[in-house]
Amino acid sequence: MIALSVALLGAVALAMGLADQGPASVLRHLYLLPTLWAALTRGAIGGGLVGALAGLLHAPVALPAVERAGLTSQTLDGLLSLGLPVVAGLLVGRLVDGSRARAARLAAVLAIQRCLDGPEALEAKLVAVARELRVALGARRLALLVGPNVRTALLASVPVGTLVDPDSAAAFALATGQRVSSADLAADPRLRADEPVDVTPVRALALPLVSGAGVVGVMAVEWRGELSRAARAAAEELALHIGLAVENARLTLRQHHFAEELAEKVSAATARLRELDQAKTEFLSVVSHELRTPLTALQGFSELLLRSALPPERAQRCLVYLHTEACTLGRIVGELLDLSRIEAGRPLELKPELVDLAALIERNIEIFAAEHHGHHFRWTASGPDVALRADPDALDRMLKNLLTNAVKYSPRGGQVCVSACPAEDQPGMIELAVEDDGVGIPADQLPRIFDKYVRVPHPETAAARGLGLGLSLVKALAEAHGGRVEVDSLPGKGSRFRLLLPGADRDF
Amino acid sequence: MRLLSAPFEPGALAPPRGPVLVYPQVAGAFALLVAAGLGWEWAGVVPRELGHALASGAVHAGLLALGWLLATDAAEGWSGPVVRLGTTLILAAVAARLHPMGALAFLLVPGLLLLEGRRQPRLRAIGLAGAHPVHALAGLAVGAFLGAHLLVTASRTFGYRLHVGGLPAYLSALAYDVGANALSAEWLFRGAVFSLLWRRWTFWPAALVTTGLSLGRYLLDPALPHTAEARAGAVFYLGLVGLIACALRAWSGSLLPGYLAALAFFAAYRMLAP
Repeated sequence: MIALSVALLGAVALAMGLADQGPASVLRHLYLLPTLWAALTRGAIGGGLVGALAGLLHAPVALPAVERAGLTSQTLDGLLSLGLPVVAGLLVGRLVDGSRARAARLAAVLAIQRCLDGPEALEAKLVAVARELRVALGARRLALLVGPNVRTALLASVPVGTLVDPDSAAAFALATGQRVSSADLAADPRLRADEPVDVTPVRALALPLVSGAGVVGVMAVEWRGELSRAARAAAEELALHIGLAVENARLTLRQHHFAEELAEKVSAATARLRELDQAKTEFLSVVSHELRTPLTALQGFSELLLRSALPPERAQRCLVYLHTEACTLGRIVGELLDLSRIEAGRPLELKPELVDLAALIERNIEIFAAEHHGHHFRWTASGPDVALRADPDALDRMLKNLLTNAVKYSPRGGQVCVSACPAEDQPGMIELAVEDDGVGIPADQLPRIFDKYVRVPHPETAAARGLGLGLSLVKALAEAHGGRVEVDSLPGKGSRFRLLLPGADRDF
Repeated sequence: MRLLSAPFEPGALAPPRGPVLVYPQVAGAFALLVAAGLGWEWAGVVPRELGHALASGAVHAGLLALGWLLATDAAEGWSGPVVRLGTTLILAAVAARLHPMGALAFLLVPGLLLLEGRRQPRLRAIGLAGAHPVHALAGLAVGAFLGAHLLVTASRTFGYRLHVGGLPAYLSALAYDVGANALSAEWLFRGAVFSLLWRRWTFWPAALVTTGLSLGRYLLDPALPHTAEARAGAVFYLGLVGLIACALRAWSGSLLPGYLAALAFFAAYRMLAP
């Protein structure tokens, strides 16, 4: 572009020489064309250079006329034509430079905004921002240090590969919020850099990035050679913008993370609700089945008794069956009532009294041993100390539930051990433990097994019946007694449930 | 990146610039030589030209010496190169006075300067290094253009004519420019002074001060014609040459393009006769 302007100047000078019309020739105005063209395409430097060249080309025409004729209107006009192109070139070029600089700054701001958008990590975004800034500012090197202090701050530098000294100028700007300006890094006495002085000065600025939250980082920029006032102003303006943009990006990322966490929680809660809904549906189905089985037996045997005249032995047997099924029905209804109380948040009604735990355990073991021949029941007591105050009915239900579970989840038979002793790790508490060598419970299911309606699926126990309420009732009853229930389990090895209840000397 | 990697002391001050008294001492020594030469010439001791040659050589040797001191911070070991360069320059000036071909001795000075400068790494910082061919050609072109412009304008405006005055004399003048006139000006002003100021200020203040100083040196030169148009022309053209040399030094990082521009300009200037 400059070459074209220079060629046009040459052509105008040649035309003026050929026309030989003196310094006030109308052709002299043509010098403005290449000057303005250079100013529009290359800015103030181009316009000024071509304008100066135009003045120089016009001088051999204008100056001799002044020497010959003195200061006439024509020669004055010629003299004005010497300076006019350079002035016009500089002014227009400056305007062009200014508007270009503003456009470049705006483009840089938009580019930075684009870089900081999106869900990527802030560090990756900062590298892109540093790259854009370096181009926009025409800098040799540029680094962004973002964070509250230099040790934890994120660093993005272009070109990459620089270390951060905790006593550096950037660290100083970050800590104090003051800008650091250097006219030549190599010759600056404040920077202890043992590097030879370069042939061209390296200008540098460390500008704090400020937002509403204070200093959020530092922008360090190095230029080789000249640093114009416009470039400095652009750097300061962009630093202001970056401070705010970085803070916005941080907030956006935080909001994004928060939204993700919230979505995860909502999703988990929805899944849990679905699970509960499914469990309730299953529960209703199981309850219907569980109720129908004894009801059917009651109905059948009572009809048999009503319609037939049975021999006394057979009638007696029917009555035993009726009684057993009525008990089963009563137990189910009792569990449902307890569940209803628990769900309604009402306390369970307990009637505490001194319980002979050994007798209770022995009785239940006899019952279970009679019903489950495939299992071997064993119980160990620690002596006469094992006495506690509890609701005997509730305690009986807890033990029955634990034994039922032990039997249910060791489908191939095996040993079920019951023990009762003072808890070694819990002074004043009595430990009642039921241990089996059944299928065990996976570790990820352990936290859920005391929840209502929860049944841990296992291929070997799929046929086992139950409401999924047993353990949750045990837990509720234990807590109502001021105790608790714990479990240790290994899949394939078995489970050990440990019921901890206050001893006889403690009230609940 | 030094803003991040170098330790920073906010209150640190620049260390003192070498032994400060060396500058007036060296300037005084060369001023004494100049005075001795002028005294010799004024006293009319035969041959008088030797006194003039001593004064002229001592001026340029003093400029080279000051440039060396400024560029190296008067670091230890400055005296040897300064004495060797000064002696060579004065001897070349004397040789040029004794015989027209003696001026060729001036051509030794740039070579000696390069040789001495190679041993002092700090001199790279003022631009004592080679230049890209494009930069060198640009310097030659600008100098040639300004020289040609001077010839055209002076001849059309004031009726000056082109007059070489014999090839030996012209070549002798060119050799003087190569080894003394242009060399000392570029070395001191565009090399030491401009580099020093540009590190502290921006380009324009540094270039204007440097050019003002170099204009002062030319306007004090007794060889410059005393007519008003010659002085106005000198201010205009030497000002332009000075500014352009500063720009070339900043652009290329070398003194060579500005030196070539000055040589091309003076090559044209030497053709001009009133």
